Amino acid sequence: MRQVVVRPERCVGCMQCMAACAAAHSESGYLASAMRESPLPAARIHVGSGRYGEGFPNRCRHCDPAPCMAACLPGAIYRDQSWDTVLIDPNRCINCASCAMACPFGVIRYHRDPWVSPGRAVAVKCDNCLHRQAKGLIPACAEVCKSGALTFEEPDRAMKRRTDEMARRTAGYVEQERSGEEAPGFMLLRRLKKRAGQLAESGAGLR
Amino acid sequence: MRHLILGSGIAGLQAARAIRSAQPEAAITMLGREADPPYARPMISHLLEGAVEPSHLHLGLPPEVRLISEEEAIAVDAADKTVTTLQGRKLAYDRLLVATGADPRGIRAENADLDNIHFMRTKAQVRDMLQELTQSRRALVLGGGLVGFKAAYAFLRQGLEVTMLIRSEYPLSQQVDPVTGSLIRDKLEENGLNVLVGRDVARFDDDGSGRVRRAELTDGSVLDCEVAVIGKGVLPAAGFLQGSGVDVDLGVLVDEGMCTSARDVFAAGDVAEHYDLARDKRWVNAIWPEAADQGRIAGLNMAGVPARYPGSLSRNTIRIFDMDLTTCGLVNPPPETGYEILEDGEAKKNTFRRLVFSGDRLVGVACVNRIENAGVLRALIASRAPVPCAREDLLRSDIQPGGIFPFFQ
Repeated sequence: MRQVVVRPERCVGCMQCMAACAAAHSESGYLASAMRESPLPAARIHVGSGRYGEGFPNRCRHCDPAPCMAACLPGAIYRDQSWDTVLIDPNRCINCASCAMACPFGVIRYHRDPWVSPGRAVAVKCDNCLHRQAKGLIPACAEVCKSGALTFEEPDRAMKRRTDEMARRTAGYVEQERSGEEAPGFMLLRRLKKRAGQLAESGAGLR
Repeated sequence: MRHLILGSGIAGLQAARAIRSAQPEAAITMLGREADPPYARPMISHLLEGAVEPSHLHLGLPPEVRLISEEEAIAVDAADKTVTTLQGRKLAYDRLLVATGADPRGIRAENADLDNIHFMRTKAQVRDMLQELTQSRRALVLGGGLVGFKAAYAFLRQGLEVTMLIRSEYPLSQQVDPVTGSLIRDKLEENGLNVLVGRDVARFDDDGSGRVRRAELTDGSVLDCEVAVIGKGVLPAAGFLQGSGVDVDLGVLVDEGMCTSARDVFAAGDVAEHYDLARDKRWVNAIWPEAADQGRIAGLNMAGVPARYPGSLSRNTIRIFDMDLTTCGLVNPPPETGYEILEDGEAKKNTFRRLVFSGDRLVGVACVNRIENAGVLRALIASRAPVPCAREDLLRSDIQPGGIFPFFQ
C-alpha cells in the first residue's frame, strides 16, 4: 500500500504542506474559505526547524505497534487495518494527553478542531487523508509538496531508491549534491545554512 | 497450552491480547479480584470528577478469554504448576503471568476504618465515593502523590471544599521539581484547594453512625470532613508468592523477557520490579503505560514469540484547570550526586522546562505547558544515547526530532 514517504533532506521549509493539510481538514475543503473558519483549521503535519535551521517535515509515522495506541487510556486510538493507518476516535478521546508522552516524534496536538469534533478539545493527528484517498486523491501534503520531501509511494520502492542513492554516494560515483538527494535550486542555500550552523556550533560565530 | 493470568488490569489484558494474537487456539484464563471486567484504571479519577460515564472506562477482552471475577490467588506452586485461590479453587497452568498490580498503603491513624474513608484504587471505590458525594461538603485528602492529587482535583471539580495534607512542601514531590511543584500548588490553591504542609491525621472521629465526621491532626488542630481519601502510594501485591519459589524483592523480580526466577512464571505491571532506564537500577515503576507495555512483552514471550523489554521510565501527564504538566524519568535527583540541571521558561508561551543530565545523557524532564513534544524527550531518555545536539535546544517547547538528530550528513 502506498504511504507518504518523508525525505527531510529535500525539505525547503516552505510550509505549503501545512496549509494544504489544514485546508484538507477544514469544513469547506478550500484554502481561501478555510482561512475564515472558526476554529481555524489546523495542520496535522508540522514543519519545524532542523539542527541548522533547515526545514523538517514532522508527520505521524503510523507506527506498528504504535506507542500512542498502547498508552491511550480510553482505547480511543486504533489501527485501521485496511488503510494501515493509526486513527483517533474523537468521541472516545478524553484529551488527557497521555499520548503526548508516548509519541517519540511529537506529532499529536490537542485542540478544538472543526474536522474531528466541534466544541471540545481532543487529540488530533495525521489521518493519512483517508477521506481524500477514498475519493482517489492522494494525501494533501504529498500532493502539494514541490521539492520532493513528501512523496506518496510504495514504501518498498522508496526504500530501494534510498538504498541505491546511499550505495552510489558511498561508492563515490556521484557527488552528494548531484545524487538527487537535495531539492533542486536550494543546494546553495542549504549548504550555506549548514556551514553557518556548523561554524556557530564550533564557536566561530557568523550566524 | 494453558495460560493463566493473575490480575485483570492493563498488564493482564495486554498479555491476553498478545497471547491471543500469537496463539489463536490457546486456552487463556484470567483471574480478577474485582467484580468489574477490565477497565482503564487511571480514568477512575475522571469518573470521580464526573467528566466521563462508567462505560467509558470499559476495555474489551480478546476473544475466548475465560474471566473469573472476584477471585484471588493465595498461593502459587511453581514446581507443581498450580495456583490456589482464596475461594478454594485449584488451577493448573502451563504458563503463568503474575499481574496482580499493587495495593494502596494504609495509614496509622486511629479509626481509619470508618465509613467514608476511602482508598482510590478501583472503580468500585469511586462508585462508593460518588454515592456519598451528594451528602458531602468537605473532603479531606491524605497525601500529595498522584492519587491524592487526582482525588483532590476531582473533588474540587465536583464543587467540594477540599483540604490536602502533605508531608513535603508541595504536591507530587516524588514526580516534580520544586518550581513545578509550587506552580501546581498555586494553581490548585487559586482554585480553592486548602493545602496543609507537614501535618498528618492522628485520629478520625465517628459521627455516631460509623461515618467519619472530623479528623484530628498531629498538631492538635481539628478538621471537619464528610469524606476522606487516603493516597499514600502503593505497594506491589506480591505477598501471596511467599514460598512459591518466585523471587520477590519489593516487587517480583523479572528479566528482559518478563520471566521471573521460576520456570514458566512471568510477571508484569505494578507488581513487577524491572530496571529503571534513568536511575540505572532495579525499580518498580507502577504506572499504567509501562504496565501495558510489560504485559504485551510478557504475553508474547508466554506465547513463544521472543520479545525484549528494555526497562521502564517513570512518567506522568497531568492537566489541571488550564495548566498542562508532564514529567519523565529522574526529575528530582538526590543532591550532590553529579547530575546537571538545566531549566528555563518561555515567558511569552507561559512554559517552563527542567532537564536533568547524567554525564552525556538526558535522564529526566519536567515540562509545564506546550507539552505536545514531550514524547520526543522521553524517547531520547529511553534511548540512553548521548544527547546529539546542544543541550539548550532541548529547552525549546517546539523541539522535534529534526532539531535533535542530525539527518543529513
